[in-house]
Amino acid sequence: MTQPHLTLVRDEPAHGAIEVAQLTHVYGGREGQVPALENISLSVGAGRFVVIVGPSGCGKTSLLMMMAGLRHQSSGTIEVQGAPITAPDPNRVGVVFQEASLFPWLTALDNIAFPLTLRGAPHAERQQRAEAMLNLVGLSGFGARYPHELSGGMKQRVSIARGLVQDPPVLLMDEPFAALDEQTRMTMGHELLRIWSQTAKTVVFVTHSLTEAVYLADEVLVMSARPGRIIDRIAINLPRPRSYEMMGTETFGRLRDRIWQQIRKGG
Amino acid sequence: MTRIQLILIRLLLLALVLAAWETLPRQGVINPMLLPPLGDVLKTLVEILGRPQVHEAILVTAAEVIVAFVIAVPLGALIGVALAESDYFGQIFKPLLFYVFSVPKSIFLPMFILILGIGFQQKVAYAAFSTLFVVIMSATAAVESVKPDHVLVARSYGATQLQILTRVYLPSMMPILLETLRISMIFNFTGVMIAEMYASRTGLGSLISNWGENFQLPQLFAGVILLAAVAIAFNESVRFLEHRYSAWRT
Repeated sequence: MTQPHLTLVRDEPAHGAIEVAQLTHVYGGREGQVPALENISLSVGAGRFVVIVGPSGCGKTSLLMMMAGLRHQSSGTIEVQGAPITAPDPNRVGVVFQEASLFPWLTALDNIAFPLTLRGAPHAERQQRAEAMLNLVGLSGFGARYPHELSGGMKQRVSIARGLVQDPPVLLMDEPFAALDEQTRMTMGHELLRIWSQTAKTVVFVTHSLTEAVYLADEVLVMSARPGRIIDRIAINLPRPRSYEMMGTETFGRLRDRIWQQIRKGG
Repeated sequence: MTRIQLILIRLLLLALVLAAWETLPRQGVINPMLLPPLGDVLKTLVEILGRPQVHEAILVTAAEVIVAFVIAVPLGALIGVALAESDYFGQIFKPLLFYVFSVPKSIFLPMFILILGIGFQQKVAYAAFSTLFVVIMSATAAVESVKPDHVLVARSYGATQLQILTRVYLPSMMPILLETLRISMIFNFTGVMIAEMYASRTGLGSLISNWGENFQLPQLFAGVILLAAVAIAFNESVRFLEHRYSAWRT
């Protein structure tokens, strides 16, 4: 069993599950240096659900990709579970992408098992883990279907299952429900909270939708337009489990308004 | 319409054409000198398949086709992948290749004869040359069909370069690669036939060309049936594989 990026994980992280310190990123474009992210510091406690919102092009996806080790920042550090992230490490971080990005030539089950296949896990283990994840995301009986035989919501369920199959402590989600219709989106948000409460993962979730942000989050981080900075941190103290009815409450509305005000100021 | 009905209708159409081929020349509706009846052609086919001269021709043609295929497909695939993966080479060579691609390759045949004579090498070189460009074009398209998102997913789960190649590139490209294999065989076979019919001492193309010039039409049609059978058999077996590997492309 080969592990490309094996990292010793401390039992109890000295601080948060994710620690970003003074992260800055500058793109070297045709028109010279474009500052994309500016002095970002944040800390996400273990088991917390943190949502990042901000205007288009503020660099929130870039920030997430850096946390996943898929891109490199110009300066600053990112630590996950107490060790720096310099390359993708599926043992610490699972990623769920915007378009489910399933491999169309693999069945739902094989898509979920893909990360296990990469590290050469035995067939029985792959099968068993993937089946368990399929059940967790509520798709029992759909394992043999190919992606083109699944609806948009089902594809994202498979994608979430794939992100969780190696049981990483951290799950990063890049606008996973952006391409879904409103109703499916609501259902998926609710489903995600159920899965999160069952698995106790640390989640960082990027979205455009303020309602989604308030509904899902323990804490919302608001980013400004380019160069992206964190301009507000809003604790969402709504009780859990969350319900659809809460969206109509005054507290919910006030929180959403505050985020909106901050985005307008920062844009 | 069910699948079986479709197959029945196709078989019926084929039977009709074959029956017309048999009866119309016998009735004198079509001049039997120009289109000998199917029965006569099949009899001739059995007869020529017994001739040592025909055996030799089949072997020569098959060898030419196979060698040209083995040269053109890997070489073209390599060039095509290089062009698709390297922006630099792609930008320089792609337009040039498109120009050459549009020119009928048969006009270069006399040059091949001048340089290589009319033997085995010339047939192989010409067939490989006429196939190369379509392989390059398709291989480029195959690489470009790989989605960057899929590569990103694989990387995020810690895939090595080799795993990205075998688990993302290869399956993404498989449908187009198989299609390329099939189409390049058609080009390749055509190339060998043209070269043999144009100037040659051996090979099926040369036999067919001679039979035509000598007005031996039963032999000519027997040759056509033989070639068609081989070509269709290859094409269909690759198409079967193509279908299996591209069920997900909908």
